[in-house]
Amino acid sequence: MKIYTNEGNPFGLKLQLLAKFANKPVEVIKVTLNDPASKDFLVLPILELESGLKLFSTDAVARYLFPDEGALRDEWLEWSTIKLAPALSQHLSVGHRANPDALPVLNLLVRKLDDRLADLAFLTGDKVSAADIAVWSLLAPDGTLKGAQNIEHLKAWYRKITALPEVQAVLAETPLAGLTFTSLQNSNRYGGLSHVPVRVHTASESENLLADTTGNLADTVTEDELANAQKSFVHVSLPQRVEPRTVLPKAGERNVLITSALPYVNNVPHLGNIIGCVLSADIFARYSRAAGYNTLYICGTDEYGTATENKALAENLTPKQICDKYFDLHNSIYRWFGIGFDFFGRTSSQQQTEIVQEAFHDVYNNGYIFTESVDQLLCVKCDRFLADRFVEGTCPHPGCGYEDARGDQCDKCGKLVNATELIRPRCKICNSAPVIRSSDQLFLDLPKIEPQLRVWLEGSEMGWTNNARVITRSWLREGLKPRCITRDLKWGIPVPLAGFEKKVFYVWFDAPYGYISMTKHYTSEYKQWWIPSKDVKVELFQFMAKDNVPFHSVVFPSSLLATNKGHTMVTNIMATEYLNYEDGKFSKSRGIGVFGNDAQQTGISADIWRFYLASARPEGQDSSFSWNDLAARNNSDLLNNLGNFVNRALVFCEKNFNCVVPTMTLTKDELILLALINREVRGYIHSLEKAKLRDGIRHLLSISRHGNGYMQSQQPWVLLKGTDEQKARAATIIGICANIAALLANLMLPYMPTIARTLFSQLNAKPTPLNPEKPFINILLPTGHNIGKPAPLFTKLEQSFIEELKKKFGGVQDQSNGSQPSSTTTNTNSATAKPSALPNGTQSVAQLEEAVRLQGEKVRQLKASTKDKAVWQPEVNVLLDLKKQLTAAQAAPPTAPAVVATPVASDEKVKELEQRITQQGEKVRQLKASGDASVWKPEVEILLQLKKDLATLTGAPQPAAQGKNKKKK
Amino acid sequence: MCEVETITKIAKTLGVPAGEVKLNSEKIITRTNNNNTVSGFATILNVLAQESKSEIARNSTATREIAADVYQWIEFAVLYVAPGSKDKHISHQLLRDFNKLFATKSYLVGYFITLADLAIFYAIYNLVKSLSPVEKENYLNLSRWFDHLQQRPEIRQGGQVLNFTTIYLHGWAKGTHV
Repeated sequence: MKIYTNEGNPFGLKLQLLAKFANKPVEVIKVTLNDPASKDFLVLPILELESGLKLFSTDAVARYLFPDEGALRDEWLEWSTIKLAPALSQHLSVGHRANPDALPVLNLLVRKLDDRLADLAFLTGDKVSAADIAVWSLLAPDGTLKGAQNIEHLKAWYRKITALPEVQAVLAETPLAGLTFTSLQNSNRYGGLSHVPVRVHTASESENLLADTTGNLADTVTEDELANAQKSFVHVSLPQRVEPRTVLPKAGERNVLITSALPYVNNVPHLGNIIGCVLSADIFARYSRAAGYNTLYICGTDEYGTATENKALAENLTPKQICDKYFDLHNSIYRWFGIGFDFFGRTSSQQQTEIVQEAFHDVYNNGYIFTESVDQLLCVKCDRFLADRFVEGTCPHPGCGYEDARGDQCDKCGKLVNATELIRPRCKICNSAPVIRSSDQLFLDLPKIEPQLRVWLEGSEMGWTNNARVITRSWLREGLKPRCITRDLKWGIPVPLAGFEKKVFYVWFDAPYGYISMTKHYTSEYKQWWIPSKDVKVELFQFMAKDNVPFHSVVFPSSLLATNKGHTMVTNIMATEYLNYEDGKFSKSRGIGVFGNDAQQTGISADIWRFYLASARPEGQDSSFSWNDLAARNNSDLLNNLGNFVNRALVFCEKNFNCVVPTMTLTKDELILLALINREVRGYIHSLEKAKLRDGIRHLLSISRHGNGYMQSQQPWVLLKGTDEQKARAATIIGICANIAALLANLMLPYMPTIARTLFSQLNAKPTPLNPEKPFINILLPTGHNIGKPAPLFTKLEQSFIEELKKKFGGVQDQSNGSQPSSTTTNTNSATAKPSALPNGTQSVAQLEEAVRLQGEKVRQLKASTKDKAVWQPEVNVLLDLKKQLTAAQAAPPTAPAVVATPVASDEKVKELEQRITQQGEKVRQLKASGDASVWKPEVEILLQLKKDLATLTGAPQPAAQGKNKKKK
Repeated sequence: MCEVETITKIAKTLGVPAGEVKLNSEKIITRTNNNNTVSGFATILNVLAQESKSEIARNSTATREIAADVYQWIEFAVLYVAPGSKDKHISHQLLRDFNKLFATKSYLVGYFITLADLAIFYAIYNLVKSLSPVEKENYLNLSRWFDHLQQRPEIRQGGQVLNFTTIYLHGWAKGTHV
């Protein structure tokens, strides 16, 4: 017989044992599933019988080789494979595959074994059976029973089996040391056994029988790592870095220029905007400063453009006044979040005008600008030229025909659109059809720059995030087109060219230059950053959300290349995906989501927000803000893990050593701990060097987890009561923990500057520069150092508090979650609707319009996100229906109220139904989040049925509308 | 489909009393019949097969090798198919693997329906049900096997017949050529 198995697989040992007990010779063949020869293997190990039949189930083999051991044996066999193996494998996994819930389950299983063996010599009676072999071969590798307590029967049985000659013979061929459960990951293509649910199933608490080893991580530490940990764990006094008043790049040093996409001035930033650029850039900048790089972080508000002009008209202010007002808002929000800009400027500054006009002259003189007469859309009714965003119409691209394409881009096919090419254009404000007027405009000749741009891209896009590369390539694939860079507006930078005095620059040739002008505002030596001399190397990191990528990867670099003055070009584009709010979209108009100014009012401190947002940062894919997640992160990661460790370490030091860091004598345990921590520190540095902020947090938390585990296993509180020798041990442990706390304070600094500073004052220490060259833990608090007064760093976020916040910022949430949006439209029909200040008719039209707009947005989003027609078609139907209703409503005389339904049902019944709808909606949402359509589809049907019931009860379909009204009260 | 339901259905297919089927305190499935309690999904199926005189039962236990072969698929259903079909990546891998398997054979074990087919059929039912017509077409061999099994009334047992027709426009536009 032949056994095919992968390296280290414990089930391979089981097969070898079974064959040995059955007295059959076997040949063991090591394979990997990636071999072409093993492409038909489903699960390893596999036993091949002489007949050629291949069995991949070790229990099937056991039953085949030992057919007459009874049903009881079969039960134990099955139990070992279905229950014991998954629990072991998940407990002993390393890293993100490790399942913290596996240990309690495993303790229960071990208890069951021990109980069984209390009365019997072997699992099925007084004779060794295949069941004993199965269980033994699972417990033997990875030293599972090492350090276990109160399971003497099991241990006796274990020794008995180990001593059997058959077992000894197999172990001589296959030593236990080579076996590990992590190898199961390579035993099939389903990720090992990590998908098998492992749950505590009895109400009683599981005992602590097995030692909490968190995998066999400690065994993986090499001698080199231990030696290195010992060598580095010394006190090094690094000079405190003095930040110069004005940071300038220096030759021979790393110079990091960081920018965050300029927020548009009259948008109030929401959490997604904040983590998307300013906060990410800030954390990176703080890291970069701590790592000793010359770091300049620049940002500001983008103020010019039509939207500001409109807002000014609406609020009856000048554009300048509007900008001032909103600039202060932005500034205060970012200040509250602790964003440490080196300079936060604005594009309406004098410097901006100078920079842009100068750049324009350069580009113009280099021949990259040409003039062309452009047909523009003029709305006669509004008496102005319509900016791209203010025109909508049917998409002109063949095969698309989307009706709500915007003037600059079609949301359905994603292609760029020229506003004048729209079929049946309409003014977004007054809905009338604009007329075409022609006027001369200036164009940036992108096709002429394209070859240079491609050469530059080849050499620079390595440091970009994946989405930035993809977006840029898709732009280049179609070839660049000339871009119009002027507009007929007043609020903007005047074009310094005869004949164009009445025009201003368009955002493409305006906003990106803000980075340079703000640097100029910061220092007159701005050219050292932006046009550095040959020997100075400046790295430019630009943070943004993905919608801003083309500006930074194509348009702005092209302009700079056209200037040909040797500008600093972006080396790293750090683009994030989008952050959703509880699986919906942030929406100011609907009051959904947390906006910058709201965060302050929650009473949750800015550092917690920073930590949470960084840990939920949409790197790689969209992510969601969720209140529950925020609470969970705070309570488990910060409070129970990080805060708990730091506080315990310092309190022990204070209480037992009078606030003095004691003498540390390192043993192997400490070295292993330090080596493990060094791995995480290295991971932290690597992550942050690439601005992978989420990974950074993971490594940070792993360090305190190691610290907690160490303290738990060493139990200094016991040692302190013991002999002098034990007291010395306790001293070492506390000293090490205090030093880890100091390391954590340094690593926390970029994420949570305020809390880190509090911790530093508790440690009575100062931040130490990070050393990216040698990412190892040093002695930061030498023996004899006096620490300050420890106090808890974090507080618990109670569920009730979170529920309150959830409600407060949920807006009209029902609407965004699968309920029929048409419900809002019939709001006024409902018997329970609140009387409105507006006449019924107008309200209904206004609401219909709103509903049409929302639904349109939803459809656009859906279409952009998926090609699956089945998904968006129903929504399109809803939209069309809404539009029909709107037309009807508009045609009707405004005073004629819609048919008022008589309340046919008692209020209680309605209330009860509403309650159930809310609950069912919640359930559906949760299920949907977990995927698997087959699971949630029936629930959705229940929800729809409930809604239908409610509609018949109240005489009008309106559940969402009621929710809305209630919240307005 | 949960284990209790599957055991009950398979007992019916085999023409033996299901007895009392439930989950014990350890959440392990147990079956009690004539004061005899057996636990564990695969072990129960084994007992059912011994009690039954049906053709499927006989085919499943014809030789020691066949019994072992059948057993490994039952275990595969419990350990990989049932929990794995809730995971996007694992379920795709499972579908690919089964599709490959059924490229060369009509049944999992031998040339006849066995308990192996039943166990996998019930375990993969919801996953197959969630597939779109196009996806089903991608897993053509698996679909053929599945469709074949579900046509047998004693296996389907009044359950919904999943649609495997590939002319999926038919439902939208019924019409005749003139």
